[in-house]
Amino acid sequence: MPAGRPGPAAQSARRPPRPLSSLWSPLLLCVLGVPRGGSGAHTAVISPQDPTLLIGSSLQATCSIHGDTPGATAEGLYWTLNGRRLPSELSHLLNTSTLALALANLNGSRQQSGDNLVCHAQDGSILAGSCLYVGLPPEKPFNISCWSRNMKDLTCRWTPGTRGETFLHTNYSLKYKLRWYGQDNTCEEYHTVGPHSCHIPKDLALFTPYEIWVEATNRLGSARSDVLTLDVLDVVTTDPPPDVHVSRVGGLEDQLSVRWVSPPALKDFLFQAKYQIRYRVEDSVDWKVVDDVSNQTSCRLAGLKPGTVYFVQVRCNPFGIYGSKKAGIWSEWSHPTAASTPRSERPGPGGGVCEPRGGEPSSGPVRRELKQFLGWLKKHAYCSNLSFRLYDQWRAWMQKSHKTRNQDEGILPSGRRGTARGPAG
Amino acid sequence: MSQREGSLEDPQADSPVSFLPHLEAKIRQTHNLARLLTKYAEQLLEEYVQQQGDPFGLPGFSPPRLSLAGLSGPSPSHMGLPLSERLRQDAAALDALPGLLDAVRRRQAELNPSSPRLLRNLEDAARQARALGVAVETVLAALGSAARGPGPEPAATTALSTANNAAGIFSAKVLGLHVCGLYGEWVNRTEGDLSQLVPGDVA
Repeated sequence: MPAGRPGPAAQSARRPPRPLSSLWSPLLLCVLGVPRGGSGAHTAVISPQDPTLLIGSSLQATCSIHGDTPGATAEGLYWTLNGRRLPSELSHLLNTSTLALALANLNGSRQQSGDNLVCHAQDGSILAGSCLYVGLPPEKPFNISCWSRNMKDLTCRWTPGTRGETFLHTNYSLKYKLRWYGQDNTCEEYHTVGPHSCHIPKDLALFTPYEIWVEATNRLGSARSDVLTLDVLDVVTTDPPPDVHVSRVGGLEDQLSVRWVSPPALKDFLFQAKYQIRYRVEDSVDWKVVDDVSNQTSCRLAGLKPGTVYFVQVRCNPFGIYGSKKAGIWSEWSHPTAASTPRSERPGPGGGVCEPRGGEPSSGPVRRELKQFLGWLKKHAYCSNLSFRLYDQWRAWMQKSHKTRNQDEGILPSGRRGTARGPAG
Repeated sequence: MSQREGSLEDPQADSPVSFLPHLEAKIRQTHNLARLLTKYAEQLLEEYVQQQGDPFGLPGFSPPRLSLAGLSGPSPSHMGLPLSERLRQDAAALDALPGLLDAVRRRQAELNPSSPRLLRNLEDAARQARALGVAVETVLAALGSAARGPGPEPAATTALSTANNAAGIFSAKVLGLHVCGLYGEWVNRTEGDLSQLVPGDVA
């Protein structure tokens, strides 16, 4: 009997053709084609059974009738594939009891359990079936990235390959071992952060490199990624900072104070933390990011718009754990926290820069120049009590007195004159 | 609950049997469970045929009817049997089904490993069939009827597993379809039989 002809690179997991009648057991009657008590029904077998083929290859199959009724013939038999009748010109009688089929340029399998190729009797009843697996061997997985949450575990993610779908169930296995000793281990918790990911929950060594790789296997072959070498200490991330609070700074209309707590999980591991803050106006999708908030748990945002609701988030990067020289991995952003700046009739500049609390120098250009001026003043004038705190108090006083003046003169935000009014409802 | 308040032996009796309140509650509960499982069985069958691919889900798909030793669908003469015998057969079938559903699940884990919903449904179905079977047996015992009649030998499930694994894949798909169909038929039949015991719901 002609067998299927797979493509040149195929490594099929083929089974030898097996007559269905050999599946009989004392307790299980034949699955298909059981002679039903004198009905004269035929049995049949399709060959090859459950072949595996490359996309684009051809298949030659046969349906052979075994009948205990004299005159059993393949005349009138026909094929369906996934429920669709195949054109009669694709099949021909090899002999009186065998119908052959030739399929060319096969497409990838429609379902992972295999395409259903069925041989039917003339009346449409099913005589035999075989499942075709048509696809591609796996590509080499790549782009493995891993991170450890608080040095307790390791999660890795990878990309399966550039080609995309293999049309066959492809099994991915993440393997890891200590670089200089130990046996290969296999990760067991898959799909934790997406379809191509795995989580190793425990028993990880520190201060020693691991080798990590991914093996992909399907019916047509296997592929292995390059090996990634890493020390768990170099890929540490942590939880977002808890207890983020955002509040007004007295009556200052363009500032908000942000405070948070450093993530508790790593507090015993002597690391320096870097933080980032991002904030946006309530009805905007554009975040502004404040970098360089190093190892402090508070910050003041300045240059904000008065009378505006802001959403603020903070994230943490643990670096220098146990003396590691490498930066860690940024945590997720904390849950958004909102606060509003006090209302003003004078619109603010709309920009923002983070200022540390307590009047310490910041990196904003205005305040940098002011710092320089104050420094010059202290040197060349007799103003020993000058400080940023005093400057902020002056600004608050200026804004209050400006508001009072506007109310007295009946000036509205756009500069138009109008009647004085009480506080907004 | 050992005292019999009524009898299942006369299915022709016109008046409903009176039961102790807790037995009545148990019967209602078991009937409700059977009704719920009938719905789940339909969902299982839908999920199953979807994952096997056409022609399994197509109208008119009619693979050869299988005969598993010790378990077939309810016979046409089932309704003519005394109620107690019907419930005994229901319990026996429900006792056999978990092993068969487990065998199907194991095979489907190889054929459809990326279909967690199907695998979960098969696992749930085995557990639910077991629970319903036990509940029916409890009702039978409370009514003073004998425990379940002869069911299939445990070796039948093992043989099914062996044959299932040895069979071609298409044959295994058909076998699984048959088992899922049997599960639906028997929970539906059990629900119908129990409805005749539910006070106030006697047909």
